[in-house]
Amino acid sequence: MDLLKAAFLLAVSALMLAIAIPGLMLAQGADEQMLVHPPADSWPGYHGDYSGRRHSSLTQITPQNVKNLALAWVFQTDQLAQIKSSPLLVDGILYFTVPENIWAVDARSGHQIWHYTYPRSQGEHIGHRGVAIYKGYLFFVSPDAHLVSLNAKDGTVRWKVEVADATKGYWTSMAPLVVGSRVLVGVSGDFDNLTGYIRAIDPETGATQWQWNSTPPAGTPNQTTGGMTWMTGTYDPDLNLVYWGTGNPTPVLKGSTRPGDDLYTCSIVALNPDTGMLVWSFQVSPHDTHDWDAVETPVLVDGDFHGEPKKMLMQTSRNGYFFVLDRTNGKNLLTAPFGPVNWSLGVDEQGRPIPNTDKEPAPDGRLIAPDEGGMTNYRSPSFDTRNGLFIVDAHPSYGIYFAKPADGVYGWAGADYGVWGKGVIEAIDYQTGKIRWSHEVGPEGSGAGVLTTDSGLTFTGDAQGNFLALDSSDGKTLWHAGSGSHIVSSPITYELDGRQYLLTSSGGILFAWALPQL
Amino acid sequence: MNFLRSILHVSLRMAAGLVVSLAISLAQTPTQSAPATSNVKPNSTTIPVAYPLALVQSGGSLFRQNCSFCHGRDAGGGESGPDLTRSKLVAQDVDGDKIGAVVRNGRPAKGMRSFDFSEQQIAGLVAFIHTQQNNALRRKGGRKGVDASDLQTGNVEAGQQYFNGAGGCATCHSPTGDLAGIASRYRGLELEEQMLFPRHAKSKVAVTLASGQTITGRLEYLDEFTVGLIDPTGTYRSWRTGDVQYKVDAPVNAHVDLLAKYTDADIHNLMAYLQTLR
Repeated sequence: MDLLKAAFLLAVSALMLAIAIPGLMLAQGADEQMLVHPPADSWPGYHGDYSGRRHSSLTQITPQNVKNLALAWVFQTDQLAQIKSSPLLVDGILYFTVPENIWAVDARSGHQIWHYTYPRSQGEHIGHRGVAIYKGYLFFVSPDAHLVSLNAKDGTVRWKVEVADATKGYWTSMAPLVVGSRVLVGVSGDFDNLTGYIRAIDPETGATQWQWNSTPPAGTPNQTTGGMTWMTGTYDPDLNLVYWGTGNPTPVLKGSTRPGDDLYTCSIVALNPDTGMLVWSFQVSPHDTHDWDAVETPVLVDGDFHGEPKKMLMQTSRNGYFFVLDRTNGKNLLTAPFGPVNWSLGVDEQGRPIPNTDKEPAPDGRLIAPDEGGMTNYRSPSFDTRNGLFIVDAHPSYGIYFAKPADGVYGWAGADYGVWGKGVIEAIDYQTGKIRWSHEVGPEGSGAGVLTTDSGLTFTGDAQGNFLALDSSDGKTLWHAGSGSHIVSSPITYELDGRQYLLTSSGGILFAWALPQL
Repeated sequence: MNFLRSILHVSLRMAAGLVVSLAISLAQTPTQSAPATSNVKPNSTTIPVAYPLALVQSGGSLFRQNCSFCHGRDAGGGESGPDLTRSKLVAQDVDGDKIGAVVRNGRPAKGMRSFDFSEQQIAGLVAFIHTQQNNALRRKGGRKGVDASDLQTGNVEAGQQYFNGAGGCATCHSPTGDLAGIASRYRGLELEEQMLFPRHAKSKVAVTLASGQTITGRLEYLDEFTVGLIDPTGTYRSWRTGDVQYKVDAPVNAHVDLLAKYTDADIHNLMAYLQTLR
């Protein structure tokens, strides 16, 4: 009897394995086709698709029915670390992160499939933007600047390689970008005079394929360091160009040891992903002394510009300016402030702001707009293709900046303090830079990113922690839900089993919203 | 069948879990036990006896991982966080009685989250922060950060003129009234921050209900959807913004309007004048 039972069990198990294997074969992970054209039931990269537009073609949730939006499920990390990442969705499973943690969660039910923890490590634990996927492999960076590859199925580690030397002051927090058979990784490190770079790593072996340095080696006379690459770039498969924003120069608040423009800091660069060679660059903040990284999403838009079809790149930059570039060659099409800016003398013939030397940090202080957090920061904007609007969580603000000889010329090299700020969701007409509509989201500012949909909705959040759905045509509020904590992430959306989900996070909690099911 | 499947599933999960924990233990990095890095230079002669070097070093390591982005590697200020070596709270703290609460509870209004550190970890942070403050205080000249002496470049008369004229400060404030002794209550950077935008200033609000009744009080909460006040009896009351009319009286906004108008010289002159109000 027992033997029979065992034999039966064995037979059933064998049968189940046989059934399970074809199922596993179907779950291919993310191939190149998926990354270039993500299906509606996926969000296979940090930005969703390669364009950085965060505009979804899904239309089940509409301006008319969004008032009925209700919780589908909630996932609690049971940790105090705030979720700053954008989840990935592949084969019905969501992958999202906080520093040293990855969760794999069923996108239908919100239940945990696995949870990976990286060993407690040195390096900054300030935030984490998420993972990348290539076939069935995840790629995850750590506070001590390593890239870890894991099996998406079960979170087991395949390999781990060092991307930068954490003992020198580097750390990593970004979501890698997979382009073809390369994993592109950027680095962070503002508290030491270090060279920023992007490294392409072989997804199979972890071997370095190429490295592009944004600044010369530390110690080069009269040259800058910095230009960290701490946010995920975008990619145009047709032009075969990767677009990346680089961070501020170091020393951060003092420019005396790095005269000139400080290339390629505070720049948007176009690289050939096969070779890592620079194809063009555009500097949004020459000789920055205010910590204004230009890492905000380089959003790729094809469309009409003043009557001509253009392949464009748009960025709302931390320094307070909105830029439209021709992304085939980096030539400037438009530069316009999207809030109070008091640090420049105008814009030069190349479309670059001209820094006012009187507004460099000084021993007795300089009042600067925007503040160091900037007119916007790492949370994603969205390009609403339907209305031709670039929608951004803006932060009109003022700060005071100080620097004196005793602050030295290493790392921060000064001090700055925020004075005042507020949050405003702004819809910018990309052809003129004029603000079509704006929607105030509270004192100090909101930390929520923006997502738009083809049905005419803008999803974002306010300073008090309310998730918001706005009408993309005029910015009017159509739906809200209090989340109970600060929102410091960008929403995503996907469709599973014919049901559209909106995924938002606040504090350490992930919220999935959908229309009530019959 | 379902039962069998769940058993199979559980055992697979357990196996996966084993692999994960194995991977974790294999991946333990040696940096865990690395000494505090060169940027944190605890000078043994300045460490109070109460804080053993090992505690300061472990606190420094934890500080670098979790605090230094905002407060700087040396606790002297970084992105968005204040210079802790000049912090009043740190100066008044005794063995973590004040710092511990800030770390555990965070400062949500200022964007600082809470941390669930153990007693031992907080003791390390406290030891590190106090050591950094002691080190900074012992530096006589050439101390980094903002000194009150750095903020003396303005002209008192020009500042007084701005106060009474272009700045419009005298509309709300009086040097012999609310501002009498202001320079004794606040000094240096703290005074300048108060002058530019007193972020703790309270606003008033008058809420008119559908019945026509008006309730006034101190504005306690406001977003698009809810208005809340503390009424004269000290009670919190709130309404949906769509159900009432409300009017906020926020004189502090006059400070915001000035931000776009100030020259840096105006600010330095105004500081010079305010510093005479002792």
